[in-house]
Amino acid sequence: MGAGGNQIVSTDFWSMGGYARFVWPCFAFAGVVLGWNLWSARRYYAAARLRAERALEAAMAAGEEA
Amino acid sequence: MWTWFYKLASPPYVYAAAAALAPWFLGLAAITVGYGLVDGLVYAPPDYQQGDAFRIIYVHAPSAWLSLFAYTSMALAGAIALVWRIKMGHAVAAASAPIGASFTVLALVTGSLWGRPMWGTYWAWDPRLTSELILLFLYVGVMSLRSAFEDPSRGDRAAALLGIVGLVNVPIIHYSVTWWNSLHQGATVAKLGKPPMPGSMLWPLLSMLLGFMLFYGAVLCMRLRGEVLNRERQAKWVREAIKS
Repeated sequence: MGAGGNQIVSTDFWSMGGYARFVWPCFAFAGVVLGWNLWSARRYYAAARLRAERALEAAMAAGEEA
Repeated sequence: MWTWFYKLASPPYVYAAAAALAPWFLGLAAITVGYGLVDGLVYAPPDYQQGDAFRIIYVHAPSAWLSLFAYTSMALAGAIALVWRIKMGHAVAAASAPIGASFTVLALVTGSLWGRPMWGTYWAWDPRLTSELILLFLYVGVMSLRSAFEDPSRGDRAAALLGIVGLVNVPIIHYSVTWWNSLHQGATVAKLGKPPMPGSMLWPLLSMLLGFMLFYGAVLCMRLRGEVLNRERQAKWVREAIKS
């Protein structure tokens, strides 16, 4: 199979036998959900760590004042 | 075994274990999901009835399965927290809920997109679809209830109770296709003795299932670290961990 054959295979792949408008949005949305989970988990941890750091600073400041 | 169980009740142990496990889970998830995607999208043959539309199964089935697994984990963690008064149980339940809810949304959306070409409609009030939608409402209810109380410990207990009560919906979702007439197809992977699909289609599906589970483990560990910090930020060990 030459370059033309590969092009046919590639076109068939992206067209998903005529179901492309159903198949690809599913995989794209799955990517969005996986990405959102990673992003929100990292953000949640970073916010919790920041709160803990502020609590530590407040406790140290209170200790110095005393 | 009990030593290990009691270790899980210790916030510093959970915090450190989650940090150590998350990268492993995430790395293994990337490998298994990558293999499942390539094998499922490129090498698996089209279905003799559904054509290439059947490939939606590679994201739909793992997300639906994970929506049930995450809910069961959340309810069991809540039950452990209530019975043994282990605070980390509430932390695990709180970390699990948003992950499970997001995968329930994914299962509903991909199921809807699969239903359009196969059933001729995006949505039907079918037992499987309706019970999965109820699962999403349960997740939203549990998360809302947890944050509805000024006293976090009361919110934790109320959310754990709702989670345990809602557990009744899990077998209803699983068996809905056998108990009632349903548009939805029957079990695909559960019949391991005689699976109704050939290995060339089944292996990528099992790989995606494993990959989604590992991904859940990774995100759970990452969220759990945040939960532990939020709940223990006045503790001495947290201050030492933050300083170092």
